[in-house]
Amino acid sequence: MQRLVSLVAVLGALSVISACGGGSAGGGDGGDLLQQVKDAGVLRVSTDPAYPPQSFQTESGEFKGFDIDVAEEVAKRMGVEVEWQTPSWDVITAGNWNGRWDLSVGSMTPTPDRRKVLHFSPAYYYVPAAAAVHETNTNITDPETDLDGKMIGVCAACTYEAYLEGSLNIPGEYEYVVDDPQVKTYDTDSSAIQDLALGDGARLDAVMSSLYTLKEAQKAGTPIKVVGDPLFYEPLAAAIDKEAPADPQPLVDEVSKTIREMHEDGTLTKLSQKWYGIDLTERQGA
Amino acid sequence: MNIRDRLEARSAHYSFRAKLAVVWILIFVALAVLFAAFRFDTAFMLQWLPFILAGVPLTILISIMGILLAVPLALLGALGRLSRNPVFNGISGFYVSFIRGTPLIVQIFFIYLGLPQLAQYAPGPLQGLFILGTITSGVLALGINYGAYMAEIFRAGIQSVGHGQVEAAQALGMTRTQTMRRIVLPQAIRVSIPPTGNEFIAMIKDSSLVGIVGTQELFFRASKIGRQYFQNLETLVIAALIYWLLTSIFSYFQGRLERRLARGYVREGGGPHGH
Repeated sequence: MQRLVSLVAVLGALSVISACGGGSAGGGDGGDLLQQVKDAGVLRVSTDPAYPPQSFQTESGEFKGFDIDVAEEVAKRMGVEVEWQTPSWDVITAGNWNGRWDLSVGSMTPTPDRRKVLHFSPAYYYVPAAAAVHETNTNITDPETDLDGKMIGVCAACTYEAYLEGSLNIPGEYEYVVDDPQVKTYDTDSSAIQDLALGDGARLDAVMSSLYTLKEAQKAGTPIKVVGDPLFYEPLAAAIDKEAPADPQPLVDEVSKTIREMHEDGTLTKLSQKWYGIDLTERQGA
Repeated sequence: MNIRDRLEARSAHYSFRAKLAVVWILIFVALAVLFAAFRFDTAFMLQWLPFILAGVPLTILISIMGILLAVPLALLGALGRLSRNPVFNGISGFYVSFIRGTPLIVQIFFIYLGLPQLAQYAPGPLQGLFILGTITSGVLALGINYGAYMAEIFRAGIQSVGHGQVEAAQALGMTRTQTMRRIVLPQAIRVSIPPTGNEFIAMIKDSSLVGIVGTQELFFRASKIGRQYFQNLETLVIAALIYWLLTSIFSYFQGRLERRLARGYVREGGGPHGH
């Protein structure tokens, strides 16, 4: 009897918990992923809101930035609302989202490894990847020669890590110019930048990231400076889980079609001008 | 006479409490001076305070749900550890030992990231049970983790009830279950409530680990804003102060609850002959 009472209490607590958490996981209630999104009227999009000007949160908790505007425009054209999810970057790029969210509009480069687990839309913009050093540094001026053997910070599971390891495999022309770097990985770019800011060689000699992430940090007063020309240009695209519980292909097609339309009608150019001050929607040199 | 003795003699007519207050005030003045010296960006802190504060309800919700799950688990665990049934005892022993022997962050990741891999082996309608949201995963991990620690608290509570009482109950013809329910548990629960309050306060702090999987609670908000603007010190100080305030408030109520529950056991009028 005593045990029965406790058991009932446990089951009660469990049901309370599952009631509050349930419903978010997309069940297999028929239809493909696109149909499910339209039925729910909600497109669940993952973003990492620590990357101004791509994605960040305002004081009132609102999500803002280039990625955010792109995702909201895509949702608007599908006739649904966006719901934001904030898992960590390596969880997003690993695929197998288990239906926890539908789409990533997170400035992701379609690398071969990621293509194994994710479907990609056409690129919605292209950003240069660059290196930065502490502002007091004087011996690293040309990343093509001066970064060899240096301690370089990058975000884990990022294209910059793959570049330094020589395993980056994306369209476009680029060379692996950094020989034998010591790569130190971080949960997110800004943690690496923070470590670089501690002093020249204190924890890091350099950081590799998107040119605009580095510039944004510089603008915020972080004592770092970008050196040399960009090392490569990465195409950035929206991604959808290949292993989604419901067939993802119609949603991939719909998002791809919408992004192509947004290229054509100048929406992406306008948004790029708004957030970056220049048009990044065309592939650049290098 | 050394300096310490002289200071003690000089200040003998001030009460201990007054001296304590002076020490605390000095600590705060020293901290304020430090803040000023390091040019703490107070405008930035004020600007982002509401955003970080908005994570407090979720922090408290996660903690309350966690403790609600932990209590029945702890009770089951404690009864199991005291049970003569080898299956029940063995399962509880494993639960308490395994959960106490593994880090909470591993348990959170296990439920949030590990469990979904098993979903494919489950029958269709049950698959949702393996794929849990961040909040649900966090609450489950906290509840299961604290349940194991609190099982030991409850076990101590049950064992604190004098054996004579159990014998008396049995002499009156009560069964083991009746004895447990009518005699032992009511007294054990009284003893166990104050430490349960302590566990709840500890859980408020550990709920910050749930932020790592992407729940927009207090710590997640503080660390994201800190990184975004490269002002981690400021946002972490805000988070620390809020956690401290929360735990202080709950400690105060916990202290009152403890005194209230002890009322029947403290002799009126005090005096030298308490027990």
